[in-house]
Amino acid sequence: MATPAISIQNVTKVYPIPFKREKVTAVKDLSLTVEPGQVYGLLGPNGSGKSTTMKIVLGLVSPTSGTTEIFGRDSTAVASREEVGFLPENPYFYKYLTGEETLNFYGKLCGLSRARIRERSKELLKLVGLESAADRRLGGYSKGMLQRIGLAQAMIQEPRLLVLDEPTAGVDPAGSREIRDLILDFKTRGITVLLCSHLLEQVQEICDRIGILHRGAMIREGKLEDLISIQSQTELILENATPALLAEIQAMIAASPAKIVEQRKPQKTLERYFLDVTTDQP
Amino acid sequence: MTATATAPAPSTRHQIFSFTRVTAIASNTLLELVRLKVFYFLLIFGFIVIGISFFTSKMTFQEQHQALKSASLGAMSIFTWLLAVLATAMLLPKDIEDRTLYTILAKPVPRFEYLLGKFVGVLLLLFIALSLMSMLFLAVLYFAEQGAIEQTIRTTPPQDLPAALDQVHRSTFNSDLLPGIVVIYFKSALCAALTLLISTFASSSIFTVIVSVIAALIGHIQPIAREAYLSSGNAGPLAKAFFALVALAMPDLRALDLADDVIAGNVIPMLLFLKTIGLGSTYIGVYFLVGYFMFAGKEL
Repeated sequence: MATPAISIQNVTKVYPIPFKREKVTAVKDLSLTVEPGQVYGLLGPNGSGKSTTMKIVLGLVSPTSGTTEIFGRDSTAVASREEVGFLPENPYFYKYLTGEETLNFYGKLCGLSRARIRERSKELLKLVGLESAADRRLGGYSKGMLQRIGLAQAMIQEPRLLVLDEPTAGVDPAGSREIRDLILDFKTRGITVLLCSHLLEQVQEICDRIGILHRGAMIREGKLEDLISIQSQTELILENATPALLAEIQAMIAASPAKIVEQRKPQKTLERYFLDVTTDQP
Repeated sequence: MTATATAPAPSTRHQIFSFTRVTAIASNTLLELVRLKVFYFLLIFGFIVIGISFFTSKMTFQEQHQALKSASLGAMSIFTWLLAVLATAMLLPKDIEDRTLYTILAKPVPRFEYLLGKFVGVLLLLFIALSLMSMLFLAVLYFAEQGAIEQTIRTTPPQDLPAALDQVHRSTFNSDLLPGIVVIYFKSALCAALTLLISTFASSSIFTVIVSVIAALIGHIQPIAREAYLSSGNAGPLAKAFFALVALAMPDLRALDLADDVIAGNVIPMLLFLKTIGLGSTYIGVYFLVGYFMFAGKEL
């Protein structure tokens, strides 16, 4: 069995409140495993412990108890971060650097050679669609462009694990879809993704497995389809069905113990509709 | 659905300490500080230096040169201190606020290297700022000397000229100017290290600046206050212990100031110079290490 990309075992994080005897438990006895190649969605309302969990995984915060490993290495060890790329929520990179200089800076931090940085920068700028903006300062980048350069910096050292905190926060639907497509692209390359997002529809589209945190504890965890499928119901979507065929199906159903719960025309999502009407037609 | 192929393990091997990482952070920090247009203060310095030479034109050349050296070295000392405190105070809080710190520390960068890179960036900024001020000061002093030489040649009898010219030269350039400037640099570096330490536990840049300014004031007045209190005979063991603790935590910043000797034309013994540099370096090292230990345990 492959070593898990992330292994969190019985992690608890307690923050003392300054000048008070009280303490806040941000994460309570959390255990979860993310297998290599999976896209894992960590969900939960604000203050549920998602960010603390991510910071523990990244070694930015030490757990009060429990252990966290990244590909079998203790996540508190600096070396474990060779395998990780991170994009925080609403990141502000150094505005005076250009896109290319930003990747150069993060590449140096990862110990890459100059030639390798040049090569990776070129690849990544192309991948995130910022080739034409490579020489522009980040101060002039839009929110979506900043998120994309953020993804590129997270990927600079070819990590096996990406930790993304609200990667589409504040981005318009088109930009949001581009980022979603990038994450799907990372998935096809076999990169493990730990994703925190409030956009449940997007999580549903891209995640293999999800965990729902509430007040620091994991209340639900499992494969997405297992969690959200209604086992007692079946959805049948027909195309070009004639009224006669529909009447026949309804008659068959009426003669059986099953019943029709709802009959309606399928709808496209508002996001799909928005993109259809705002995308330039050829 | 899980992807069939997983990404391969990285080929790079983590180094415990990397000069490249420190250099990358230091050069980026320097660029960040320079972009904040901190060098505008050089204009003010220029006005002070040129203004002094203009307003003292009616004095004797010895008085004129002394005033120029006094004002210039004093301004250099204050400006480098201000620059050290203000530039250092914003580094950590800004990186935390903008979350750029997260993206840096999420890479294989030890916190020691991050802090060292930031500190080296400030040291480079102080070096550049002090070098520019020194060049400006020495240029103005050179022109003042040339003016004094011309005047001396015009007004002094030939037999007294060598002695008079020697006097002009001694009132302007002497070998102690450089050690005086070096000590100003070490004093500002010490203040930067102290500010960095404070910023590792402070909640904001403003708080860091306020505490650093108070600490610098304590460093300047605590030896006088201590001497005065202890010589009054009222000092109990508790007061003595308190003063000892303050003296240990904050060095006598007046001891790190050789400008008065330079201005007065006194010779600075090499031993005194080395001791001063040694004291400054020790405190810089201690403050940096304490700052690192604070930062290493900081929850981000």
